[in-house]
Amino acid sequence: MSTSQAIYAGWMEIPNSTVNDLARTHAEEVAVAALVTQYGGALYRVAYSVLRNPSDAEDAVQEAFLRVLRHRDTLDEVRDQRVWLIRIVWNIVLDRKRRSKTRPETDDVAELARVLPSSGLSAEQIASAAQHHAHVLACVEKLPAKEREVLQLSAFEELSSVEISQVLGITESSVRSRLFRARNLIADLLNHARTLK
Amino acid sequence: MSSTSHNSNSRIAPNLTSGSAEETLQLIARLPAPEGLEDRVNAGLKSAPRRGRVLQWPASLRPTASWMRGAAAAAVVFVVAGGGWGIYMRVQPSQPARVIVMPHAGAGGGFSSAGAMRTPQTLNGPLVAEPVTEQIDAAQPAKAQPVQIKPLKKVPAKVVPLTRASGKSHVNNKTAAQPAVSVAK
Repeated sequence: MSTSQAIYAGWMEIPNSTVNDLARTHAEEVAVAALVTQYGGALYRVAYSVLRNPSDAEDAVQEAFLRVLRHRDTLDEVRDQRVWLIRIVWNIVLDRKRRSKTRPETDDVAELARVLPSSGLSAEQIASAAQHHAHVLACVEKLPAKEREVLQLSAFEELSSVEISQVLGITESSVRSRLFRARNLIADLLNHARTLK
Repeated sequence: MSSTSHNSNSRIAPNLTSGSAEETLQLIARLPAPEGLEDRVNAGLKSAPRRGRVLQWPASLRPTASWMRGAAAAAVVFVVAGGGWGIYMRVQPSQPARVIVMPHAGAGGGFSSAGAMRTPQTLNGPLVAEPVTEQIDAAQPAKAQPVQIKPLKKVPAKVVPLTRASGKSHVNNKTAAQPAVSVAK
């Protein structure tokens, strides 16, 4: 007896609830796919700014959307999906960075020269710019975690201070004070390095 | 005035110098995502393990009525209880332990001393030195001393019937011993 015959015979009937569940699951998967299309790039950039490794950043994005898929029932309750997704991927990348104490790949000057945009620059200028960026990133890594996180998130133009506060789970005034402290600290670090030279 | 200018300079100066750091971070933040990222993520999501589906009863056997659920619960209880009873019946109880019945020592029951006497542990007292004369006497053989026998009263003889089993008379030991003494005389 084939499946269709069994269904028509009545003993293998597909209940309405199952049909509804299938339809709902399909709708949720479509919604998640739309989120991937809309926010995948932004999440990748957030992940890359912390991990500075393309494959690790992509893995983090993948993991973030898997978490979204797991909690797709609560997708309708989310107010700001962009901030919610950034928060998810932010937690993932921080966790990954904590686990692997390896040096970010882009601290390598050659890798930075390859990755960062360098249109209209000579090879010498590209090399010196890459060296400068590597030095700056090394100084950023020396910052305390709270200040560094705010500084890294503030680099994203699409994130306001309110949204940064939502991502980090702190108040907006804390974001501003931390950002001010981060700027002072990074300036001190850069000046100190310059005087040493 | 100078203080305000100094403050303003100190506030601006970090921004000026930290501007390069922020520029670098902004450059990294503006980096485009690699091509095909969305497709790869979507493919990964499709291959992700899905939620398990719960098996449904066939329509004709679906327990809609409460009495069917009750019957099913009773059947489960019956099977479990029957299984337990079957195991209980198959397993043979172990043989009772052999008990050695000890005879009662006393009439009143309980423990008996079995004739043992308790000897109190006492300290050894001072040794008394015995006189030497007694030792010499002990070494010598004892002299035979004459036995003084009191004269016995004459008692008239009595006829006593003998018992069938032992053949001994029921007469007192004193009276039975008297003829022997007289024979010795």
